[in-house]
Amino acid sequence: MKKTLAASAALTVAGLLAAACGNSTSSPSSSSSSTPSGGSSSASTAGKFLGCMVTDTGGIDDRSFNASSWQGMQEAQAADPGKISVTYLQSTTQSDYTPNINTFISKKCGIIVTVGFLMAGATQTASKANPSAKFAIVDNAYTPALTNVDALLFNTVQDGFLGGYLAAGMSKTGKVATFGGEKLPTVTIYMDGFYDGVQYYNSKHGAHVQVLGWNEGSQNGSFTGNFTDQTAGQTLTQTFITEGADVIFPVAGNVGLGAAKAVQNADAAAGSQKVNMEWVDTDGCISAQQYCKYFITSVTKGIQTAVKNAVVSAANGSFKGGNYIGTLANGGVALAPYNDFASKVPASLQSELATIKAGIISGKIQTPTKSPA
Amino acid sequence: MTTLAATGRIPLSVSRRFLAPATLLVLGLVDILVFGKYAHHGDATFAFSQPFAKVTVPNLKVPAAETAYALGAATIVLAALRVMDLGKVVRRLSIGLALAFFVIALLCWAYGGSVNSFNVINQFQGTLADSIPLILGALAGCLCERSGVINIAIEGQLLIGAFAGAIFASAFGVLWLGLIAGSLAGGLIGLLLGVFAITYLVDQIILGVVLNVFVSGLTGYLYDKVLIPYSNTLNSPSTYLPIKIPLLGDIPIIGPVFFDSTLFLYITYVLIVAVQVGLFSTRWGLRVRAVGEHPAAADTVGISVKLTRYRNVILAGLVAGIGGAFLTIGSVGSFGKDMSSGKGYIALAAMIFGRWTPLGGVGAALLFGFTFELQSILSTVNVPVPSDFLLMVPYVATIIAVAGLVGQVRAPAADGQPYITS
Repeated sequence: MKKTLAASAALTVAGLLAAACGNSTSSPSSSSSSTPSGGSSSASTAGKFLGCMVTDTGGIDDRSFNASSWQGMQEAQAADPGKISVTYLQSTTQSDYTPNINTFISKKCGIIVTVGFLMAGATQTASKANPSAKFAIVDNAYTPALTNVDALLFNTVQDGFLGGYLAAGMSKTGKVATFGGEKLPTVTIYMDGFYDGVQYYNSKHGAHVQVLGWNEGSQNGSFTGNFTDQTAGQTLTQTFITEGADVIFPVAGNVGLGAAKAVQNADAAAGSQKVNMEWVDTDGCISAQQYCKYFITSVTKGIQTAVKNAVVSAANGSFKGGNYIGTLANGGVALAPYNDFASKVPASLQSELATIKAGIISGKIQTPTKSPA
Repeated sequence: MTTLAATGRIPLSVSRRFLAPATLLVLGLVDILVFGKYAHHGDATFAFSQPFAKVTVPNLKVPAAETAYALGAATIVLAALRVMDLGKVVRRLSIGLALAFFVIALLCWAYGGSVNSFNVINQFQGTLADSIPLILGALAGCLCERSGVINIAIEGQLLIGAFAGAIFASAFGVLWLGLIAGSLAGGLIGLLLGVFAITYLVDQIILGVVLNVFVSGLTGYLYDKVLIPYSNTLNSPSTYLPIKIPLLGDIPIIGPVFFDSTLFLYITYVLIVAVQVGLFSTRWGLRVRAVGEHPAAADTVGISVKLTRYRNVILAGLVAGIGGAFLTIGSVGSFGKDMSSGKGYIALAAMIFGRWTPLGGVGAALLFGFTFELQSILSTVNVPVPSDFLLMVPYVATIIAVAGLVGQVRAPAADGQPYITS
């Protein structure tokens, strides 16, 4: 019996250790940079501004908003490496949010960046309990605005609109498709924009391009149910292609890689590049290079820059708090470069997109959405 | 746990006897009053060709509402036949037919008057793609639990199989190395399960859960630290291409679904047969089941309980590891964190729903895969059902089917009980 107990204990400890290592550790690069050579660690962090980030459950390398946020953090450190150092904790489940935030509060972080609107509640509670601490949250805005939280929200309906227009213009079959990971406002806002962009193309060109996988009116469509099951993304995209769609727009983080695989398989079966896609959140040609040749463009949001600005402003004392809305006008949301498609997107379509972009900025073209984040 | 198995055929109880016809009647009424009545006017189109296929099979157009009405009426006739109780064959056939009618009526409703068509081949190909890891996981569960060791760790074995498969196939550029590595990695978790469950007598349910957390943490950690920085060398494997079986692969509809797929589907066929025959028609299988039912008796006649259990637990890991490798090198290529997404638990449930038999497990896994793919396809054509509800359907359908068709299940008598020789 003794043997059993010892073995169970050892095993449990090993399992938990591995889980802890895998999911909530600060990266060695960041912790080493926060420890300057020579000085004792306690003394060294005292003089430095510490930027701290709590990831959402997607993890630090989700090729999506957590990764973008972390890049912003690192850029902030690079902007003033003598003064700013950054670190992060990963959340494995939603119940990690509050403990992770509290860990950082006790570490006296100069700013705590929380990633994802799912953390809105936890961040608000912590900001009220610690009015002197500074926070930033990605993908959320508060009404009324909180004075010690920089709330970074991105009106991705605007570049989603451009993405939809481009997709409709590039489609040969007259069918385009989009799907989401989970039905969250930050996901469906892209899909609303995409849907509207296609409808706008139809009205301008008298075309009848059909959107599969999302209907803005009924707010209903296709979802894989999570952000991890890439096989589900692949079979779903296979279905879209079978139904005749030739431009696919996954709004599902890493699950989009399954969609890219389906596009690759379809093009291999067709013998030529008949099906393409658009990537989301970040420039796909950087975050998922292996599939770059299938990406017409990427519908991005400038999380990186916004997070960097929040951290730098907190470090140099110009932190304001309140809500920041990224738009096409301030560059907070944008279409990524066409990359491999620079020569394949017709010049007329490119100039139409530029006109529409100007129209959205001036307010002449409205981009309604039912997904206020 | 009772050892009083249903050895003789228990006559159907009255409630159960009328439950089945009642269910059929409800299905028939739904066909008529929901699918038939609310179908849009016009035809529903069923397609049988793959996109970009060179040889195409013509589409089938049927009037949507009328077809749903006809199928509903046929289902009600089946219900009437069922009341008369015309024997086992009719019983089974009636349920199968009614469910098939139900699905077709549902599709008529969803696709009636639509410009889109329902592609039958895509439905079945997707079903198999969704089911392969579930089937292999369920087979692993059978191998393990028939020898008396509970295997909650299928999820972890799938995940580590996917991880090892991607790394080895990518680093060496050789796919079969990935397949072998994935299988061995699953076997390694099986070995760990064996050491702690059989030698150290650790509670097997807790053990399985801990192993899953361990694998999730380990692969997640290595993903961040190794696969991300070196993703071009370590996490960019190619994937298995479909292999068409000569002649069989050319049969319309059936060919592209069952005989024009990756190596994994063919491995799955072989393993289903091997595990079923192995467990129920060989001396080895008899010994395994003896160990799982009554280890003391097996020990008395000279069968080594521990050795048998070790062998089966590791074998199970090897099988589940192949299912894991499918997720990367058989499907999407690169590894992603926690990409098994709970498939191991579904496989475990499929195995239990299948009464701890390989074929039963395969059936349950296919049922889940079918409904999952069906809801996925329906979501793309904007049926007026909320997506959250659609995503729930595979789980609900599996539970209902199992409760209605399978009824009470019984685990191997010594399942989960360590064998201690005093």
